[in-house]
Amino acid sequence: MRYEEMGLTEGDFYSRNFQKGAREDTLILNLGPQHPATHGVLRVIVELDGEYVIRAEPVIGYLHRMHEKMAEVRSIYQYLPNMGRVDYGHALGWNWALVGAVEKLAGFEVPERAQYIRVITTELNRITSHLLWWGAFTLDLGAITPIMYAFDDRERMLDILQMATGSRLTHSSFRVGGVCADINDTFIEACKEFIPHMRGRLPMYRDLVTGNIILRKRLEGVGVFDADLCRRYGGSGPVVRGSGIAYDARKAEATPMYDRFDWKVAVQTGGDSMARYLVRMDEMEQSLNIIEQALASLPEGKVMMPKAPKVTWQVPKGEAYFATEGARGKVGIHLVSDGGKNPYKIKLRSPCFSNLSLFAEAARGTLLADALAILGSLDLVIPEIDR
Amino acid sequence: MIDTLFEGLAVQCVGRCDPAKTGLAWSVFLAPSELLAAARRLYEALYFIEDLTAIDAREGYLLVYHFDHMDKPGRVALRVLIPHDAAALPSIAPVFQGAEWHERETTDFYGIRFDGNPNPVPLLLPPEMTDHPLQKDPEKRAPLATLVAVGDIVRSTADFFLLPPEAPKPEASGA
Amino acid sequence: MSFIAPELLRIVVGMVAVMAFVALNVLVLVYAERKGAGHIQRRPGPYEVGPHGILQPLADAGKLMGKQLLMPKSADPILYWMAPILAFFPVLLLFVPMPFGPVLTVQDVNLGLLLILAFAGLNVLATLLAGWSQNNKFGLLGAARAVSQSVAYEIPLLLSVLCIAFQYGSLNLSTIVEAQGSWPWQWNFLCQPLAFLIFLVSAFAETNRAPFDLPEAESELTAGFHTEYSGMGFGLFFMAEYANMVVVSGVCSALFLGGWRGPFFDGVWWFLIKVYAILALIIWVRWTYPRVRFDQLLNINWKWLLPLATANLFATVFLIKLF
Repeated sequence: MRYEEMGLTEGDFYSRNFQKGAREDTLILNLGPQHPATHGVLRVIVELDGEYVIRAEPVIGYLHRMHEKMAEVRSIYQYLPNMGRVDYGHALGWNWALVGAVEKLAGFEVPERAQYIRVITTELNRITSHLLWWGAFTLDLGAITPIMYAFDDRERMLDILQMATGSRLTHSSFRVGGVCADINDTFIEACKEFIPHMRGRLPMYRDLVTGNIILRKRLEGVGVFDADLCRRYGGSGPVVRGSGIAYDARKAEATPMYDRFDWKVAVQTGGDSMARYLVRMDEMEQSLNIIEQALASLPEGKVMMPKAPKVTWQVPKGEAYFATEGARGKVGIHLVSDGGKNPYKIKLRSPCFSNLSLFAEAARGTLLADALAILGSLDLVIPEIDR
Repeated sequence: MIDTLFEGLAVQCVGRCDPAKTGLAWSVFLAPSELLAAARRLYEALYFIEDLTAIDAREGYLLVYHFDHMDKPGRVALRVLIPHDAAALPSIAPVFQGAEWHERETTDFYGIRFDGNPNPVPLLLPPEMTDHPLQKDPEKRAPLATLVAVGDIVRSTADFFLLPPEAPKPEASGA
Repeated sequence: MSFIAPELLRIVVGMVAVMAFVALNVLVLVYAERKGAGHIQRRPGPYEVGPHGILQPLADAGKLMGKQLLMPKSADPILYWMAPILAFFPVLLLFVPMPFGPVLTVQDVNLGLLLILAFAGLNVLATLLAGWSQNNKFGLLGAARAVSQSVAYEIPLLLSVLCIAFQYGSLNLSTIVEAQGSWPWQWNFLCQPLAFLIFLVSAFAETNRAPFDLPEAESELTAGFHTEYSGMGFGLFFMAEYANMVVVSGVCSALFLGGWRGPFFDGVWWFLIKVYAILALIIWVRWTYPRVRFDQLLNINWKWLLPLATANLFATVFLIKLF
């Protein structure tokens, strides 16, 4: 039914659904869908008492593309490029989730070299994603300069990633049973050059931005999440690791190859926005460690399994759930197949979706500026929320 | 330990799955009336909600709730079968508040009603849309037996709908 | 021409000169700000329009003037259009008692400092009107922030200025500059370091510059009090902001840095050098620091600046009485 037929002329469905509270002296404010702090088309309706947020309700769906329906009308191969579009920040995490689910269901053994390439490119992609977040988050806090530094480094990494995956943003280089292309010496050299460079940059970021007193005062004690809140809402990734839980799907779900490297799950116990900030900064270092070790022990061999499935290959019957750690949290694919040409059902478990759902509770009673700092600290990528 | 977790609830079937093959550790079938109680047990055992979705199969909608544990990884899939013509079941949002959005999404996609959802309005699809895009055509629905991993059945009720016909029926335990 | 009083003539000529000076300054500052930002962010900054982008401010001004002036349907038209005018034109008056050089002052007013502080207050009114009249919630929040921020920070600003005024027994800027020596160690920032710091911090807040740019906090309030303004409506706020920065820097250099006094050759160049040094500091800070939160902003004022400024004032008065 159209709104006019309902006899309603003011506001839209969601602003009418958002009932004003009992108090008379509050202000209802629509942040978004076009708002500088929402990084895309997220909309948050807030009820304000002065500058204090009484109630907040995110309204999503402005970028909804029905990836799950697309999965049912495409074969797995046709669907693979969608994964790069779900989360443009960390496209390879989603790539891996999909091919991992298919490989799990079909019982494929992926060559080691392909797995190593997956690890290297995924971790590189994770650093680009965290850098993008870092720049955008500091921009939310009013610091305009860090994003330029972040993009400087990110550009270099994208150049490197381009050599391995062929694209700069919407990577989709993983295939069922391997990766689409082998990496060459130029790529390895570029990586080896980049790692010390990035190791030099991270302390600089720490001195310039992380140690800044204004930034610390803006983030410390703001938006404290405890483990219980994360459990009730299904928060994952840096959101739970900032709350003192060393839960990383790369370890918990035994993502292939990660057990071979010496790395730590970055954990902070604060639970506040600063803790989530520090977790991501530490994760960049850990990712560099993983890449370095993977490059050092890169095995020789093929990058596709023998008798890799052709385009017309049909996924066997049954169901499989594969989860890995994306830059934003636990990325999961629940694949159900009836043995037909197309998957019967694919469910995308998006970490941002769950992380954003706890925002309404976390923002209650905070200042507007704090609420936006919390929103930024969740590291939201809107296409992944809306799918 | 999942065997003991649902002690006292009318569980239709508990199956142990192979995480290496399906990604699930446990597959638990329940009646809709037991869902909220089961969710509460999981919450008390410190499980967190991963996602929830539905599978549109010939027998009805199979609601799948995934839970995982942060310290002792092992995914538990709670499954609830509801008929196509009475697609409604209780919401678990009172226990896992994060389920609210997942349930609204499932309502958008399948038209399943969740009784007790605190904010039952469309989440991802436009509010004026009446179609449910993930509903399948009746002739394209596949039987559940081909779709779902039941795992090695630890215990089940005698009339459980997915019992393999040729297998010797395990000891019926309504508990 | 005898029917025109020479005093009036001086003011008219002076005002025209001030207008030209302000307009020129805005152009220079826009360029400096963008180039400065570029330098801090390790990029060239404007580079396309003219050699090294030197004509970029002119292009910006042309763009702003060419834009359509829009007004929301539900806005209050009179207040809405009055606000940018009220923001910009009083700023010109602030230059009247400004001692640019030994003789280069529009009008040597005995109560010059009072005049500047009084008319600077009008800026708050303009911001309030702008935020209120556009009937936009972001604008309203921005206006509310602007008022509480300006009112709060005016007090420590005034108290730190009063220290200097007590010290010299005068509110005339030229007298205060005159009384300071030519060498840096004779300037007031050494004998009144605390007042100097308080003045600087308050000046950042009074001119709504980062890290205290809360009335227009982009990531929170989109554009705050000037959300709905387009074209030169926004342009006037923009010019007023830069003109205010120049005024604040001018007052600061006159009170604390010896104004046009300087080593070897006293003169207007020393004044300009000092003003631009302070402006460079303001620009530098903007591109370096994140924004503070609103309650923190007010806490800095009420819990730190105000007590310190009061204590400083009492100490100054006590010492003046003593010696």
